[in-house]
Amino acid sequence: MVLVLAIGDLHVPHRAPDLPAKFKSMLVPGKIQHIICTGNLCIKEVHDYLKSLCPSLHITRGEYDEDSRYPETKTLTIGQFKLGLCHGHQVVPWGDLDSLAMLQRQLDVDILVSGHTHQFKAYKHEAGVVINPGSATGAYSSITYDVNPSFVLMDIDGLRVVVYVYELIDGEVKVDKIDFKKTSTATI
Amino acid sequence: MNLAIRWFHEEDDDRRPEPQLLTNSEEETYSQTTTHSPTLSDSQKQSLQIMVKKRVPDWLNSPMWTSAPPKSRSQSPPPPSSSNGDRLHSYACKSSSITSSNSLNEPHVTLPPPASIRPVRTPRTEIRDSSTRSSSSDNDITSSVDDVARQAELLQELSRKIVNIGELRRLASLGIPDAAGIRSTVWKLLLAYLPSDKGLWSSELAKKRSQYKHFKEDLLMNPSEITRKLEDSVYPKNGDQISEGKGLLARSKIPHGEHPLSLGKTSIWNRFFQDSEIIEQIDRDVKRTHPDMPFFSGNSASAEANQESLKNILIIYAKLNPGIRYVQGMNEILAPLFYVLRNDPNEDYAVNAEADTFFCFVELLSGFQDNFCQQLDNSIVGIRSTISKLSQLLKKHDEELWRHLEVTTKVNPHFYAFRWITLLLTQEFNFADSLHIWDALLSDPEGPQGTLLRVCCAMLILVRRRLLAGDFTANLKLLQSYPSTNVSHLLYVANKLSSHSTQ
Repeated sequence: MVLVLAIGDLHVPHRAPDLPAKFKSMLVPGKIQHIICTGNLCIKEVHDYLKSLCPSLHITRGEYDEDSRYPETKTLTIGQFKLGLCHGHQVVPWGDLDSLAMLQRQLDVDILVSGHTHQFKAYKHEAGVVINPGSATGAYSSITYDVNPSFVLMDIDGLRVVVYVYELIDGEVKVDKIDFKKTSTATI
Repeated sequence: MNLAIRWFHEEDDDRRPEPQLLTNSEEETYSQTTTHSPTLSDSQKQSLQIMVKKRVPDWLNSPMWTSAPPKSRSQSPPPPSSSNGDRLHSYACKSSSITSSNSLNEPHVTLPPPASIRPVRTPRTEIRDSSTRSSSSDNDITSSVDDVARQAELLQELSRKIVNIGELRRLASLGIPDAAGIRSTVWKLLLAYLPSDKGLWSSELAKKRSQYKHFKEDLLMNPSEITRKLEDSVYPKNGDQISEGKGLLARSKIPHGEHPLSLGKTSIWNRFFQDSEIIEQIDRDVKRTHPDMPFFSGNSASAEANQESLKNILIIYAKLNPGIRYVQGMNEILAPLFYVLRNDPNEDYAVNAEADTFFCFVELLSGFQDNFCQQLDNSIVGIRSTISKLSQLLKKHDEELWRHLEVTTKVNPHFYAFRWITLLLTQEFNFADSLHIWDALLSDPEGPQGTLLRVCCAMLILVRRRLLAGDFTANLKLLQSYPSTNVSHLLYVANKLSSHSTQ
């Protein structure tokens, strides 16, 4: 039972001052085993804050990140699943599912987590699953101003993943979940 | 002279006692504690000593207090020079009562007959070793005869269709011999886990074991599994999500508002994270239990399995008892219980040891729960009142020692008795000895506390000579790392304290 937090596109301090208070009250250290972050934090303070939640932090570089040492893409294995991470501004057209599928096949992962569009999406295709955690602060994106703060928590348990989607809609935290399983040999 | 002090020591009344050195210091401390005015004439001192001597009840002065039976001494070959030999012999015997050489640390093993050991006696150290070995082997010879008789009686009692628990208690209070492997069954009967009617055993055991299995399933599951089970019961399994091709994944509602970051009090996730602290502590303590014993620690698969069982039992106990949860020390009480039940020669019992141990542990702890509850510390059932009961017991049986300890040297019983009482003496003796002591504790029909206090009192009385000669530091050091002694002797003394409690 591994809890993985997928979060990104905070754009602190340029586009948003901080995470919403309700999100911050829920994110306490000790519960989460891994954090995967799509990028665009942008400053070191946010990096330190995420590190305090969980020492196992994986980040890829977004175009506004001030730390240039983050990699462009990252892959990691958690339990039975291979996860891939990429900010998404490199994949053109932005947010296009077929292009993301290409990237996923390139990285050869079961679950690809990418951001940049600031919209939550969970999409399934033959090569695997693409998850976009959206923007955790609700910062405006290059495409739209109408953004709900959101992030994603994945509960990986054997061959089954439960994806909990946390969104702040009208000042209230709404949680939904998505279930999927992986067959032991093939990808999802 | 100092006849009064030699209650529980080896020497018979008529023999010349200790070497000169100790006598002098003892006399000094003795007179320090008993004289009221510094200028007391010799005759007054004598009368005081006689007075004190009269206070010692006769039964305490009898030769049966010697841990080696008197006949052994008559059989010993004459030492090289009579006075020297006397001194050496008596010194050696005394050292065996107070500090033991390594031979007494082993569990009761029947040593070869004394005659073969005794001829090797010329150097002094060897004399001491061999005489202690001979005294303990004498013990073993006589005690092994007793053991065999008791073992036969116990086996006979156990073979009856309806076991007489009272009789079993009486037999067990003298100690259960290791050889027969019946300790596990006897303990289960004494803790009322098994009913006295043998015919009911199989049905009772099946019932309890399945109950434990349910506990494990309910309480040891992590929240992912719990939510999965909940859903599978609500939404029956529909074929699949696997064979779909492309498309947005469907979002579904979460059951009961349960999500991992939930901060709600009733949320299973939240409770899980709160319990995880206790689980971590249990894990740490279990790993530290008896690190010297391969049964409990090490890298072998069996040690890991045993540790896993200990953890499960403690976790389930903590979850079922939100009042006390887990307190450090419970692992020490659980360890001997699990060890005995797991090493049952009966295959079926050994395999199900975890379930059986759980219920026995609950039963055992039910009498002592109050010791672990901090709020009850100062109440009438708490640990403080138990310690003061011990203090009163000591005062009743040995006022001089009590006065010296508590008043003169100000050794507050809380400093040493806390660990003795809450951990049921598991930390004061080696593992095998503590099993013997537990035989006596569990056989008390009114619950282990009475016998426990008597054994503690006996422990104090057995080292009274050193305590009376010591100051605060020395006494505390002695009591906090109690020297190993002959446990049968200790139990015998404790037993005597109960029968003469009216004096």
